[in-house]
Amino acid sequence: MQLVVNTLVLAATYALIACGYVLVYRVSRVLNLAHGELMMLGGYLLLTTASLFAGRPLLAVAVALLLSLGLGLLVYVVLMRHFTGESVLAAVLVTIALGILLRGLAILLWTAQLQYPLVALGWQNPALSLGGGAVISAAGLLTLAAVAVVYGGLLLFLRYTPWGIRMRAAGENPLLAAQRGVALPQVLALAWGLATLSGGLAGMLLACDSGIDGTAVIVGLKAFPVALVGGLDSLSGALVGALLVAAAEVLAIAYLDPLVSDVVPFFVLLAMLLLRPWGLFGRREAFERV
Amino acid sequence: MVLLQVEKLEVVYHQVLTAVQGVSLAVRQGQIVALLGTNGAGKTTTLRAVSGFIGLDDARVTAGRILYRGEDIHGLPPHAVARRGVVLVPERDKVFESLTVLENLEVARRCPHQEARRLYDLVFTFFPQLAAVRHRQAGYLSGGERQMLAIASALLCRPQLLLVDELSLGLAPRLVQALMAQLQAIRRELDLTVLLVEQNAAAALAVADYGYVMENGRVVLDGEPSRLRAHPDIREFYLGHGEQQTRRSYRDVKQYRRRRRWYG
Amino acid sequence: MAYASGYFKTSYGAELALVETRLQWAALAALGLGLGLFPLLASPFALDLANQVLLAVIGAVALMLLTGYAGQISLGHAGLLAAGAFTTGILAEEAGAPFWLTVPASGAVGAVLGLVFGLPSLRLKGLYLAVSTLALHFIVAFLGSEYETRHGFSTGILLDSPRLGPVVLDDARLWYGLLLAVAAAVFLFSRNLLRTRTGRAWIALRDRDVVAAALGIPVAAAKLSAFVVSSVLTALAGCLFAYYRGFVSIEAFSLFTTIEYVAMLIIGGLGSLLGAVLGAVFVVTFPYLIDLAVDLLPVPARLSTYVFAVKYAAFGLIMLLFLLLEPEGLLGIWRRVRDYFVLWPFRYRPLAGRS
Repeated sequence: MQLVVNTLVLAATYALIACGYVLVYRVSRVLNLAHGELMMLGGYLLLTTASLFAGRPLLAVAVALLLSLGLGLLVYVVLMRHFTGESVLAAVLVTIALGILLRGLAILLWTAQLQYPLVALGWQNPALSLGGGAVISAAGLLTLAAVAVVYGGLLLFLRYTPWGIRMRAAGENPLLAAQRGVALPQVLALAWGLATLSGGLAGMLLACDSGIDGTAVIVGLKAFPVALVGGLDSLSGALVGALLVAAAEVLAIAYLDPLVSDVVPFFVLLAMLLLRPWGLFGRREAFERV
Repeated sequence: MVLLQVEKLEVVYHQVLTAVQGVSLAVRQGQIVALLGTNGAGKTTTLRAVSGFIGLDDARVTAGRILYRGEDIHGLPPHAVARRGVVLVPERDKVFESLTVLENLEVARRCPHQEARRLYDLVFTFFPQLAAVRHRQAGYLSGGERQMLAIASALLCRPQLLLVDELSLGLAPRLVQALMAQLQAIRRELDLTVLLVEQNAAAALAVADYGYVMENGRVVLDGEPSRLRAHPDIREFYLGHGEQQTRRSYRDVKQYRRRRRWYG
Repeated sequence: MAYASGYFKTSYGAELALVETRLQWAALAALGLGLGLFPLLASPFALDLANQVLLAVIGAVALMLLTGYAGQISLGHAGLLAAGAFTTGILAEEAGAPFWLTVPASGAVGAVLGLVFGLPSLRLKGLYLAVSTLALHFIVAFLGSEYETRHGFSTGILLDSPRLGPVVLDDARLWYGLLLAVAAAVFLFSRNLLRTRTGRAWIALRDRDVVAAALGIPVAAAKLSAFVVSSVLTALAGCLFAYYRGFVSIEAFSLFTTIEYVAMLIIGGLGSLLGAVLGAVFVVTFPYLIDLAVDLLPVPARLSTYVFAVKYAAFGLIMLLFLLLEPEGLLGIWRRVRDYFVLWPFRYRPLAGRS
């Protein structure tokens, strides 16, 4: 029972991070390898706002979320804008370089120690009993809720709103979208903003659950196999991929060896790449075009 | 009134290859203007320059101006050109295949709902076939339906100048005729101006008010369709009515350049 | 562009010549002399730096063959280096294997792993290939750390200085000689390989794989051969690295190492062996430049306590700047400077317009 709960919470964390990979890839065909760092910055931003607005935790969270969104927009406007239409390698390398830069800056700004934003917020993270001997932390429960809200919101947004439809159109055929009057820079900036917002939210929840330091990046890196397993251009695929990878990881920790946990996602990823490289829910055509 | 004026346009690919060498065109309000020529004549490059996509293949406008309603639109991003009312129906990849027909139209819409409803009604009266498949994914449409959808979604941008690239490409001759007729009807209804880029000279000259012929990056002939149709070179090389039943290309004829210059 | 007047290629042999003009011979001789005199004049610190650069050159040239010429993006370079180092470490530790045995063994392991890393490339391209090699990197790294913990080398495996016949390689000067010879040999080997059928097949593959297949190039074999050749060279670099350090630990082969090697290609200039060398020099010396800057400049205390973070950030920044401003890398800068002087007082202006 506890294993199921652990799987669900881990899957929720992965899913929340993975949707950032999917959003950016879907709209701009860029695999954002700086997403882990952007997620980590979300946690650090919460740390800062929590001490800035001491005593008003909700305001602190809201400001941190806004800053996350702004960070994503900034990354696009300052950096990624110049790489639209460039080769895959160049764009991926840019995100790698950005990741290194952000990691260094994060240590310079917030030091390398493990820190707990919950303390500054003045909140607790009690373990809730679910019956049957299983427990879930309040932050874990919140993560599950956040996944439901974010994925529900994103799916509705992409399906029914004009901006969502434009985003899908731009992802499929940016040239035609521009010819139809869609301002690509705005759509791409929005995608980066939303991706960083959801990633930042994941970082904040992670920071609340287990504190924040440089190792948060590893969690972000482990979430990108999730996005690939589900199919890089499929949001619902990311949910399934998250469950799959999280289950494999939790089972491996329970029955094999805790040390394996860091590579399990990559084993799953390799198996997927060999069997069905476009992912569980990805479109084959999108893969062939790479 | 001249809606689009291209003046002595020069386009260079990869910094070495001059694909368009001083092309001048004028498209008057309310006209259908045909731009004819074979592969590699520079038609599509000219069109790309107008619609703002010139930077994509490492191409550059090195000289000349592109004036739309007197404003130089060169250097504007493509979506800004589209929002000014210059809308392209491209040659390939003309619909969003993963989106439904309605969503394809929705991408192009940027007016309030009431106005949009009027446009939707209009589009569906022009292309009743589209109304029947409105919830289908565009990837499953036939070639003809795709072309209709492409024109329809261009109309949703509320164009004043419609640029149509190779309407006839890959379609049956009957369908091409029908689409050309449809285009004329739409033009009248919406008071559109159309620049038609075509390899199929016969189909284009049938509906056009004025025509330009491009060869090797230059405009070599222009005039009313009747005059163009009567010209022996056009008859031989573009319409296939040569006196000797041989299908030659204009490139095979030595005297061609000289004759053309006299004519001009 | 010709760089000597009155120099025309009059035979097929001249087309193939590596060194074309007397000026190039002179420059080459000067370079050889400089490199030969260097260990006699340099301080121990500079000598160590030079050795690190030479090690990096071997690895960077290997990656350049794979990514810069065959067009196969690999993010598993550190995994291959680690494989070479660990083969050496394990053989020396468990079996007491001598230098002349561990070197070919590392190469053989590299060849096998090259096949393994290359297999996904038969099906995957571009981004997906990069991701699969990244996954393989993590798996190799995991196996390495498993070995370390299982066999009680949690801090790493210690290695004795290798013997070459009667000579014990324990002096930085000796190492310099060996590494310089190996690096030069690898460079020359790669240079020659690229002029053969195999090398041309790789370049065709990089430019357009479908066309390469249509031209009768066995695409699968060419891809695999690129991976194998590159991996063998990389594993050799790993083996030498292990001996040079006298110490093998998986810590030294993190994802960051891969990124450093990719950065060497980018900063040096993709698609050129000379670029790989320039990039290796730059990336290896860069952290020391930062050290120097932190020492010399009056910086806040936090910057000096977290010098490694400064290096990190500066490295990311410099990589970004190269990607943004100079995609052709150091080599592009070098070419522009050279052209400027060759053509002086005239200027070469490409056909370009407004915007």
